[in-house]
Amino acid sequence: MDVGEKDKFELEKRNENGINYQGSGMSAAWQFAGGGNLTSTPMSLVPSDNPLVIGSSSGSASMVDSFCSNLWEHPSNSQSLGFCDINVQNGASSSNAMGITKGGPASMSSSIDRQFDMAWNAASSMLKGGMFLPNATGILPQSPSQLPADSAFIERAAKFSSFNGGSFSEMVNPFGIPESMAVYNRGVGLMQGTQNVFAIGGLKSVSGVESQKSKLIATETSGDACLKTENRATQESPHKNERRSESLVWSNEEARQENGGSGNESNEAESSDGVGGQDEPSALHSTGCEPSAKGVSSKKRRRSIQDVETDQAKGSQSPVDAAKDGAENQQKGDRDQSTVMNKTTTKHGKQGSQASDPPKEEYIHVRARRGQATNSHSLAERVRREKISERMKFLQDLVPGCSKVTGKAVMLDEIINYVQSLQRQVEFLSMKLATVNPRLDCNIEGLLEKDIFKSRAGPSALGFSPDLSVCYTLLHPSQPGLVPGGLPVMGNNADFMRRTLGSHFTPMAGGFKEPNQLSNAWEDELHSAVQMNYGAGAPSNSQEVNGSQPSGHAEVEL
Amino acid sequence: MPLSSLKPKMRPHSSLKQEFLKKWIMGLQRCSFSKKNMSILERKKAIKFSADIAMASARNGTTCWSRSLISNASKEGSDIHVVEQILGSESDRPAVENKVPTRRASVCKKIVKRSCRIRRRRRRRKCVASAPSSIAKHLVRKRREVLKSLIPGGEFMNEICLIEETLDYITSLRVQVDVMRSLASASVRASE
Repeated sequence: MDVGEKDKFELEKRNENGINYQGSGMSAAWQFAGGGNLTSTPMSLVPSDNPLVIGSSSGSASMVDSFCSNLWEHPSNSQSLGFCDINVQNGASSSNAMGITKGGPASMSSSIDRQFDMAWNAASSMLKGGMFLPNATGILPQSPSQLPADSAFIERAAKFSSFNGGSFSEMVNPFGIPESMAVYNRGVGLMQGTQNVFAIGGLKSVSGVESQKSKLIATETSGDACLKTENRATQESPHKNERRSESLVWSNEEARQENGGSGNESNEAESSDGVGGQDEPSALHSTGCEPSAKGVSSKKRRRSIQDVETDQAKGSQSPVDAAKDGAENQQKGDRDQSTVMNKTTTKHGKQGSQASDPPKEEYIHVRARRGQATNSHSLAERVRREKISERMKFLQDLVPGCSKVTGKAVMLDEIINYVQSLQRQVEFLSMKLATVNPRLDCNIEGLLEKDIFKSRAGPSALGFSPDLSVCYTLLHPSQPGLVPGGLPVMGNNADFMRRTLGSHFTPMAGGFKEPNQLSNAWEDELHSAVQMNYGAGAPSNSQEVNGSQPSGHAEVEL
Repeated sequence: MPLSSLKPKMRPHSSLKQEFLKKWIMGLQRCSFSKKNMSILERKKAIKFSADIAMASARNGTTCWSRSLISNASKEGSDIHVVEQILGSESDRPAVENKVPTRRASVCKKIVKRSCRIRRRRRRRKCVASAPSSIAKHLVRKRREVLKSLIPGGEFMNEICLIEETLDYITSLRVQVDVMRSLASASVRASE
């Protein structure tokens, strides 16, 4: 890869892109919004204006695209919301840049990291609608307010780029970079995480700053991160996209060169220890560190990094635990150990592992610090955290799209988005119902139809659940209240209902007779005077039938 | 399903739907009795209100959010009869009363916490991104605040409780949305 040419190309492109994307007020506003606002803004924006979000996401995507293209001469400025593509480009370019310039003082890297983080957060917040890296959003609210230090950042970036071929290990050092990275990605590996942030943040900040060097730095860091991740990835079970693995491989190669054995060894050791638990680990063993490994999305890289980190965390559990045990020989003995182990993982996930090179040492260091707190406090805290993580796992199952996300902040983000979207849906649907039905009572007939549809859709396995008693009791108190109200309304619609029900039921096989009964039960409940016979299982007014039918229906719905 | 194993509160979806539907119908009936010729917005509010109350009452006071929702609804005098109808003879009313003193204490606690938080924020802003753990905590804390604002009665919960309530609330919301959506589609189909 011709880095020099690329740089020039980047510069030119960057200028163009900078103008372009700065034009997109939304993205710019999002990028530089205040920290708190940033967090809240995407949330409010995303749920309320879906098209808006999409537009902005595409805008930001285009921004990222432009950056990526700068880096890799990738002409495709796809406006697709598939952030993966952008990330892939980013990864590729970043990995390339990494090869070019590496190293730099740890302090600088930390500051740069911060800048990157901010930019990253801004960008991620912009692309909140699920388009951007879910992990990235976790980083988000971090400090868009810090972004204003762009000029300083540019200077640092310049300095940083001057450290070509510098000791990568320095840059990667746990001092500032890994820590900040760790913050973002719960369980994210040390160095990789940091570097990832670097790359991503660099990309974002570049957009804001339009500093070529920052891009380089970003790419460098991301490349390093990729490299690091790859080290671990090779040992982990392949899961993720090839793209991710490619970039990781690429970056890992470089990282390996730079960092030598120390960091990698520790990482490898950890990953080997921690292998097994991670779903996320990317198929890092995909081969080649090719500069053209542009397929990796930063999102995937981050995920793999996270996986690696979690693996490392697991791997480092034992050393950490040992340290912890020494630090706090608290009473609980075995229980402590187990909780400590669990907490270690979660803690690592949350705070991220600071050390990239000596991850174990970093973890241990952190743990020791924590151990200095009162034993009961830390233990209770650990137990509490364990509970929280347990419940978060449930939430992961419940909230769609959360299974791949690790990290409390990101998870909470997703949960918040989901709850907001559900609430909005309820509002919208209630408004829709209000418009469709001139009267509230009219809902009843619709309900019946809906029941039929629901029962039709449900499996044919019908049984009577213990809920029968519940339905039964509920039905009866409601009858007196409903019948007088519903009767006049339903009387008008009885024929209509019969027709509808009949039409719906004709195609149904014998196995669906219960729904007939159920709909009949509903109608009977609402207007006892109306009796509908749809063949087998005439519901009649028998209370047992009424009680059983809803439960049968319930089963069907299941 | 891990949820059901660890959360006995989680009932099968279908039974929840049934219950919600019944209660919702009750609430709507009650609303339509009280007011005739409602405007579209009124109707929407009534629909949503009865749906929310029905959803909350389906939990029978087992969850904090449901209790809080019902207590909030009970405060308005106009719709309280709807709430009563839906709740029937359930024991949610005493739960409602119990919430009041807790709320006051929680409000005081909140105020104190807020002031501390502001002080901490000011201090934190000086040291930018000092420790990754603090950053992470800051992030998580922000989001937790947002989540608390979303969940009814969330301000009074600790973190563990908040997540549990969120789980339950999400399930209930899903049921609500499913039922309403199918009803809406059915109504649309019927009107065509």
